[in-house]
Amino acid sequence: MLKKTRGLVCAGLTVLALAGCGNNSKTATVATSTQAGTLAVDPPLRVASLTASAFAAQLGASPTGQQLLQLAGTPACGVDFYYMKYWTTAPDGKPTEVSGAMMVPTGSGAQCSGARPIVLYAHGTTSVSTYNIADITDSTNAANSESAMIAAVFAAQGYIVVAPNFEGYDISNLGYHPYVDAAVNADDMMDALTAARTALPHSFTPGTTDSGQLYVTGYSEGGYVAMATVKAMQAAGDTVTASAPASGPYALEAFGDAIFFGQVDIGSTIFSPLVTTSYQNAYGNVYKATSDIYTSTYASGIDTLLPSPDSLTQLFQSGKLPEAALFDSTTPVTGNTQLDQLLAVPTSPPYSASQAALFDAGFGTPSLVNNTYRAEYAADALTNPDQAEMTLLNGGTLTSSDVALAAQPAVGLREDFKLNDMRNGGWSPKEPMLMCGGDQDPTVFFQVNTGVMAAEWSPLVSAGLVQVLDLNGTPGGAFAPLQSAFQSTYAALVAAQGPSTAIQSYHATEAPFCMVAARDFFAQVP
Amino acid sequence: MQYKIATLALGTALALAAATGARADTAHPNDIRIGGYFVHFDTSASDITGPYTVPGLNTSVNNTTTLYLGYVRTLSSHFAVEFAFGWPPLTHAVGKGPAAVGSVPYNGVTIANIRWLSPTALLEYNFFAPDSRWRPFVGVGVNYTYFYDRQVTAAGAAVSGGPTSISLPASVGPAVTAGFKYRLNTRWHIVASYSVAQVNSRLTTDTAGVLRSSSVHFWPNAVVVSVGYSF
Repeated sequence: MLKKTRGLVCAGLTVLALAGCGNNSKTATVATSTQAGTLAVDPPLRVASLTASAFAAQLGASPTGQQLLQLAGTPACGVDFYYMKYWTTAPDGKPTEVSGAMMVPTGSGAQCSGARPIVLYAHGTTSVSTYNIADITDSTNAANSESAMIAAVFAAQGYIVVAPNFEGYDISNLGYHPYVDAAVNADDMMDALTAARTALPHSFTPGTTDSGQLYVTGYSEGGYVAMATVKAMQAAGDTVTASAPASGPYALEAFGDAIFFGQVDIGSTIFSPLVTTSYQNAYGNVYKATSDIYTSTYASGIDTLLPSPDSLTQLFQSGKLPEAALFDSTTPVTGNTQLDQLLAVPTSPPYSASQAALFDAGFGTPSLVNNTYRAEYAADALTNPDQAEMTLLNGGTLTSSDVALAAQPAVGLREDFKLNDMRNGGWSPKEPMLMCGGDQDPTVFFQVNTGVMAAEWSPLVSAGLVQVLDLNGTPGGAFAPLQSAFQSTYAALVAAQGPSTAIQSYHATEAPFCMVAARDFFAQVP
Repeated sequence: MQYKIATLALGTALALAAATGARADTAHPNDIRIGGYFVHFDTSASDITGPYTVPGLNTSVNNTTTLYLGYVRTLSSHFAVEFAFGWPPLTHAVGKGPAAVGSVPYNGVTIANIRWLSPTALLEYNFFAPDSRWRPFVGVGVNYTYFYDRQVTAAGAAVSGGPTSISLPASVGPAVTAGFKYRLNTRWHIVASYSVAQVNSRLTTDTAGVLRSSSVHFWPNAVVVSVGYSF
């Protein structure tokens, strides 16, 4: 009734030329197209705008922030944080809406405006479905520290940052995350970049533009996604100026085989459901029922468990996921002596004491993965071996002639690993690439991933196109200060917490050091 | 709810006026008035809430002055009904809260400009006799406010995070007045009064699909000074 009255009044007054009733400010435009790369809301929401000093003050307010400030340097530029919604392609080929961040440097500094390079960043594994790397204002969001890290390392130093949240997270209604699905993840990254390039001229600082320099980086799962993105962009003929994938599971088949042979990594109980759900959705060949792989304790609902709005602690406490026990401590007895020995709980020798201790933590009862499946997978890994993993198992040196993928894996999961393994397709980077990591990384093993890729591309390493940075190596060369800084930071952690607690944070501790190394590397490649 | 109460009050008062059986002054029962509205907005709003919104963000509305136009119809020697109309003023909504949101200024910054179409209908009781020089009066009635030309300023868009549209549904609320009429001659008079109305609405902003809202209550306190002509 009131609406009608208002309409009449409006109409009447318009006639009397007393008032224009429709001159109201408008909100952003919603795109009608769902084509991949379309920016769904234009301009995207600016979540926060911080001057350089305000950002420095925010970081300085916490101990971890202070460490980041020291490592990344005092912000030279302010940062505007944008929340982008854009369209990408789901594994089934249909358009799906996802979100991500665009961070734009601001301020009067010479490096803070005008034509600026873009850093396309892929984030690490997260189990939390509400992950949103754009929301720097929410300290409770699982993405908050990673958001602060890339803002401090890149955006506050003059790089435009584009960082997708990935399918399965934030507003994505996919219901699962296409974990280490190379083609899908690379498309997501490329679509985020396209959407950001659309958004940039409509930002609060339209004078800040894309210089055309494009750097691709990421950490952990993100390191894998960054490498997969470089591979896809090269294949598509898109410009990549340089890349710096870090601590990623690049050689998936070799890494998977190593784990099934008993070299259980920290985080395996989270990675496993993410991987099996991803590949089961993509290829349908991983299992007929989740109980084919998982024990009766965990099989039911394991395929819809992650990503979850609940924290990991809540998931562990509710008994839906074991904290560390990937395999049964009562290992399978198959009758094949070689296989049974490989499947036994790791001992020292042949492993070092600390290695054995690390791997043994991955065994328990009840375990996540059942012995039948473990034996089946491991048997195939012996029968149809991954050459790189065999080289490492036999204590050999990785060279370009002993890191081949398995010729014909016969287990569905291994076939899928091979398909998504970064050795697949015989490609190599055309532009400079830095592979950073730490040789004691207990979460994403360094040798079986970075080491294997470096061996695969050894001519490029010799030529200097591909560089390897082991943060735990003897400090030397351009990255020596970073290596020393990482090693003393980690040593302090060990002193404070003891080695068995400190090792749990090794992978996370490396991250900002690898990102600063990436930035230093990018600065050398114009 | 307030609409019903206000109408009930008005209806009862009108019935009472008829029941007194007083004779209306039929000589010059119509007054038209012109003058000035000097309005102070007492604002009480809840903090703005929604996604990506820090706590403690509130608003106030700046004082405004506008043209007053009125029509008064005498019903009896004491009762009259007034239709008051202020030329729609452009009001300025000002941020009230932290000095800045992130590094974007907030407190004291004009975040939106909105025009008010806010007519009021009042039943008034005039004291003393119709030919007295001074006639104080009191009145009660209904205010209707329609908000239009709702424009977020550049500063408002900056703090909201992008181009923003505002929705502010129309309000119906009670109004009261008290004043006096000074009779210059049979035709001309001067009127001064003080009125308060209650205006309620729900402010909702849409920035890139993110909706934020606040429930707002204004009490426009208006001093009106006008000159009137009876016919």
